[in-house]
Amino acid sequence: MEDRQQHALALKRALDARFLRKGIATAIISGVCYGLFTTFLNLGLGEGVWAQWAAGAVSVFVLTYVVSAMGSAMMYTASSLWSLALTIAQGKFTDLLRSINTKPGRMIILAALLGGPIAGTLYVIALQKAGSIVIPITALNPAIGAILARIFYKQALTPRMLLGIGVCFASSVMIGASSLGADAPEGMFAGVVLAFLAAIGWGLEGTIAGYSTAIIDYQIGITIRQFIAGVSNLIIVLPLLGVVAGEGWGYSWQLFGQALTDGASLPAFIASGFFALFAYSLWYKGNSMCGAALGMACNSAYSFWGPFFCWIVLGVICGKSGWTIPAIGWLSAVVMVLGIFIIAVDPRTLFKKGGRAQ
Amino acid sequence: MMPLNYAILDYFTHTDRACADEIIAALAPRYGKMRGLRKAAVIDALMTAEKNGLIEEDGCDLDDGDDLRVYYKASEEGRATIRKYVG
Repeated sequence: MEDRQQHALALKRALDARFLRKGIATAIISGVCYGLFTTFLNLGLGEGVWAQWAAGAVSVFVLTYVVSAMGSAMMYTASSLWSLALTIAQGKFTDLLRSINTKPGRMIILAALLGGPIAGTLYVIALQKAGSIVIPITALNPAIGAILARIFYKQALTPRMLLGIGVCFASSVMIGASSLGADAPEGMFAGVVLAFLAAIGWGLEGTIAGYSTAIIDYQIGITIRQFIAGVSNLIIVLPLLGVVAGEGWGYSWQLFGQALTDGASLPAFIASGFFALFAYSLWYKGNSMCGAALGMACNSAYSFWGPFFCWIVLGVICGKSGWTIPAIGWLSAVVMVLGIFIIAVDPRTLFKKGGRAQ
Repeated sequence: MMPLNYAILDYFTHTDRACADEIIAALAPRYGKMRGLRKAAVIDALMTAEKNGLIEEDGCDLDDGDDLRVYYKASEEGRATIRKYVG
């Protein structure tokens, strides 16, 4: 009898260890997918009609704001279709319909609006203005999430976490300082600021959606998120920007129609949407499996994967210039990851037998 | 009918403790064909709920086939949270 109980406890410890490993792997893969979706989004923004618009076929305002938001809308629309297909393939479509008008479903919709049309559009504008150097800045969102969790959910904000936040800000200052140099591209500093605002949006999203996905199936949650993000971009953000540009409500949709039928760039957006699905869904899942703190620490490696895949795919494979990351960019990405890791993981728990990251 | 994940959590508001096999048997008449009701998926859902403080572990043993059987329960606070979001 005693032996059977000992055997059961040994099996339980093995199950816990497997679950934690699976959670860590999930969170790391989410970061890799984040880097890949950013890379293919950049690829699409430089092809076909997008390249023509960038070359002067539209006004500077339209290029900066409408075209940027449209890139985000294209990616989210493609991603929502991928999500829906996967949800149907997994036999969860009826559960999706049942989940939408529930409390966790409505919280996901709110998170989608914050992280999708608002932060997503700011991120794309930042990318257009400053390139992949903005990617490490958006990796600040776990740090911002820690502060928001303190405010909204009264979660701990320890001296160790404050130290990590300080390291993250030091990293941002390193990037900001490089953008203020004499040879900095025009608009780079604005891009850095917009990327910071996007990080706040994603920090809010992670705080709200993280709590919801403890209850709602993560695949269903991400389908709602990507669909709301895509649709709200298409029916709210794009027409609004068209009016602000002085071109009228329908102008953005005319451009969107051209983008949808552009064979040169469409495959890149479809690929971007595919990787975005896993970047977000595995982020949610990893956080819920191994704890939000450790999950975010593993996911935050996207500040490395973003510039890395941009350099490999756009620079090395496609032979495009301007995708080499300056030394300060690589260094700040490393410092940023270090800072986020300090926030997320108490080093003492890593060495305790059977201990967990916080 | 509520979503499967909600039903798995809701089960703990009506029982003192439960393991994955018991939940599968209870929900199979309504959700039997869903992939999410396979044992591995239910175990994942239970461990995730535990990780997020909705339920807590309440011991483990071996079943007749020598497979691990882990029991979970919901505290009063956990039940209140589940009812707040699922009910």
